[in-house]
Amino acid sequence: MTTHVTDNAIRALATEKRLPDANLERWLAMDSGSRAALLDLARTLKFRTGQLATAMDLLDEIAVREKSSIVKILGDARARAIADGRGSAPDRARAMLDYLRAIRFPELGRARAALEADIAKLHLPRGAAMALPRELASDEVTITLRFRNARDFDWMLARLNEAKPGIAAILDRLGGKE
Amino acid sequence: MNFELDEILIERASRDSALARRVVCALGDRVPVIEVDEAREATRPRRGDRDPFGAGKRRMVIARRSSPFLMACPAGSSRFACCGYLVLTLASNCPMDCSYCFLQEYLAGNPAFQVFSNYADALDEVDRMIANSPGRSFRVGTGELADSLAFDSITATSHDLVEHFSARPNLTLELKTKTDEITNLLALDPRGRVLVSWTLSPDAVFRSSEHRAASPGARIAAARQALDAGYRIAFHFDPIIAYPDAERDYSTLIDELLDSIPAKDISFVSMGGLRMTPALKSAARRRHADDAMLCGEDVLAPDGRYRTFTPRRLRIYREVAAKLKKAGANIPAYLCMEASSVHEKVFGAIPPRPATIGQRLATT
Repeated sequence: MTTHVTDNAIRALATEKRLPDANLERWLAMDSGSRAALLDLARTLKFRTGQLATAMDLLDEIAVREKSSIVKILGDARARAIADGRGSAPDRARAMLDYLRAIRFPELGRARAALEADIAKLHLPRGAAMALPRELASDEVTITLRFRNARDFDWMLARLNEAKPGIAAILDRLGGKE
Repeated sequence: MNFELDEILIERASRDSALARRVVCALGDRVPVIEVDEAREATRPRRGDRDPFGAGKRRMVIARRSSPFLMACPAGSSRFACCGYLVLTLASNCPMDCSYCFLQEYLAGNPAFQVFSNYADALDEVDRMIANSPGRSFRVGTGELADSLAFDSITATSHDLVEHFSARPNLTLELKTKTDEITNLLALDPRGRVLVSWTLSPDAVFRSSEHRAASPGARIAAARQALDAGYRIAFHFDPIIAYPDAERDYSTLIDELLDSIPAKDISFVSMGGLRMTPALKSAARRRHADDAMLCGEDVLAPDGRYRTFTPRRLRIYREVAAKLKKAGANIPAYLCMEASSVHEKVFGAIPPRPATIGQRLATT
């Protein structure tokens, strides 16, 4: 596809998806290989408008972080496997965004996995759950308890009290303590 | 400081001010000087500029300020544990161009580099404040909406400021800078009541993000000179950027700092992680598209700003705080724009009230 044809196809898709002008401008400002690769991806996975804008942001920032280009990132075997793999287009679109988020936020992913493993080790009683802040964006955790009577409530509080050292260790880790 | 000005616009009412005369004398033979009836229009973004904020930095406007000069630090909020800093707005915008600078959003509507000719009125405001609060000490800075010293070789406002503050025992003037422009200061006697503070970043951040600022080494050397000339000195590790190897680089930077300046001579240190509202992030990424420092592992925090995810951000705070503690001398330290719970995790204690911490920092 020539650059001219690609750019017209990008404009047509942007109109169809009502992509904001700022996003279209950024898309057209990419190198020609990256422009075409994103167009191919958007068509293959039938991205919705929000997904397309998110993918663009993620790809743009990954390219800056890794001193790479969008065409190279999307040419990676793992990205190709998701784009060309089995499953519905919406499922593959979600998987692609998850994949891009994982490479955009590698350390966040590892930190979350470690904290989730710590939570699993608490063996909280049935009906009790501990949730980490979304994207580890704060130092606050949420514990929810589901119970039907005072006896269950007392029992849960006792189990939680037993888990206190482990909970404190999770709060420490969330607070940056190694 | 290497100024890159395209023009100087002087409002008619400021034409005969001492400040306008000094600026024209310093730059008038190199930069076109234009007199205007009213400066407001000149402060606004100009249509047709590809980068209105960057263009604004090259357009100096000298005018009277009609709003109050003195205000509480705009970063303050009930969400955060604050340091009680008071701000004097003597200028607006800055000749340097740091990619992460909040002014890109804050001054988007009036990006011209404004310098206020009636800055002596600011000193009257300060005097009224201290008259109304007997017994209290205040730390008042000029480095919030502009660098305190970046243009001092041209405006020489430091002379009047240092003279004024050094004569008032319950005031501390904080001149906050990323430059090594201290020549004027060295000729003055601060009488222990003027504090010069430097924002410090590792070399990697300086190279990637702090365009036209002095190198970290030059800032530390300037701090040493200021200390020797009788100034109190302080350092702001702000913004701390959590790039790969950041912990190692901040540790090296602190070693370099303490090699030149004994810990006992540092009045205080502040820390603050990079934080950007969505609008700031968008403006910064648009203006500095290739700066990897703007693409850290930042997530949208409950205060509506992008910040490095919590464990990583707090790990760097802890490491910097531990490194400073190891240096001895018990350097007072605080966090900027962080919640009390974060202070407690990093320093092991709930921070005092802003007025108390302000009083303490004013007198250290």
